[in-house]
Amino acid sequence: MRYWKHAGIVLLLLGLPFVIPIACRNPPALEAPGIAEAPAGSIPQRTKEENAALGRQHKTAWELYQALKAEAKGGQALTAATVPDWSGVYSRPADKGFTFDPDTPPGVATTAKLTAEFQAKLDKRIADVKRGIEWDPISTCAPPGHPRWLTEPFLREFVPTPTQTWLINEMVNDIRRVYTDGRDHVPPEDRYPLYNGDSIGFWDGGKLVVHTNQLQGGIYQRQNPDFTDQVETVEIWRKADAMTIAADVWVYDPPALAEPWYVQQRYGKLANPDKALRIRYWNCAENSNNAVHQTQDGTTQFNGFTFGQAGKK
Amino acid sequence: MSRRLMQAIAVLGVLASGSARGLAHHSAAMFDEKKTITVEGEVKEFQLTNPHSWLLVDVKDKNGKVTTWGFEAEGPSTLARAGIKPSDLRPGTKLKITGNPMKDGRPAAIWVNAVLADGKALNPRAGFAVR
Repeated sequence: MRYWKHAGIVLLLLGLPFVIPIACRNPPALEAPGIAEAPAGSIPQRTKEENAALGRQHKTAWELYQALKAEAKGGQALTAATVPDWSGVYSRPADKGFTFDPDTPPGVATTAKLTAEFQAKLDKRIADVKRGIEWDPISTCAPPGHPRWLTEPFLREFVPTPTQTWLINEMVNDIRRVYTDGRDHVPPEDRYPLYNGDSIGFWDGGKLVVHTNQLQGGIYQRQNPDFTDQVETVEIWRKADAMTIAADVWVYDPPALAEPWYVQQRYGKLANPDKALRIRYWNCAENSNNAVHQTQDGTTQFNGFTFGQAGKK
Repeated sequence: MSRRLMQAIAVLGVLASGSARGLAHHSAAMFDEKKTITVEGEVKEFQLTNPHSWLLVDVKDKNGKVTTWGFEAEGPSTLARAGIKPSDLRPGTKLKITGNPMKDGRPAAIWVNAVLADGKALNPRAGFAVR
């Protein structure tokens, strides 16, 4: 009998080299909610040119949003089982700088078709920078606000849930909430300007379609154009591949834009093997060495430093 | 193209891009980005703060007079993406550091690159690469 015991151990040892690789190749399927493959949806994946033309076909962001909703047959409600997996820490590539349209060709100031008034403002801004004069309205720690929110090169997380999606930017602890529970915007008579506006949306397969209004004016980014408090956007967010979250963005802003501005935004998933990249609380006022003011000639200057000659901290 | 090669190109792109040089909270107009200065000294304090971190470096001149220079960089998460950790820059750490100086002559600069005694290079701008 004891020989049979030994034979069993020998057979087990002989079999291990075959069993272990098979087990490693075929880990148990994840059945937890939120790991589902996204269905295709009804809105087709259009080319950049087709999307730009689509924007021009609609007079307002709201009209475009309603057209997309009709195309998606109203969209589908997410459930715990169909929430897409957008987990990870992402950032916007900065290899082409921080311009609002990441596909802006070198040497081109902007791909936006601006009204004459706003083109003149942009021309002056760029000329001032060449003279060494530049002031950024977020220098006093104000949040960038949407649509500039799309451009900042810091850590990001994207968190879909069945009833709302959180679009998180590390900078100033900035979170855009997109409500997908069927609610409408705030009534027009009760709207007031907000940094990130009011965002509602619907899901079409793995695509999140968003309409944002109730925004306040700002700049798209340094050395980029201005937008006004009439700006509204439509965005289609999706997971483009395992390493990329992408957004098609249409901006409507009649005082500043001669026609809707369509851009593609992409956010790359950061390698984070040791899980060291974590979004921390961002207190813009915590270090007085960062405090700046606008000088009389309109440029930027530090208020003062806590360091310098020996004996001073 | 291999992923590693693409990553290297992305980092080089960030380093080559003038647009990426601007500091993300405020303009860099007070710095002279056409000039660089290099000093040798030892770390006095590493202020890991948002929106910008400051590396304070004590620099001794030939007469023994100490000036504390401040080198401004991005916040802690961007530095972490560049592989720069608090443990690299404890007070007393000796280093050679290069930056774009202030136009008005005050002892402050944009931190461009630092080299530790063991040769390790610390380049904050590498933290903007997505890889």
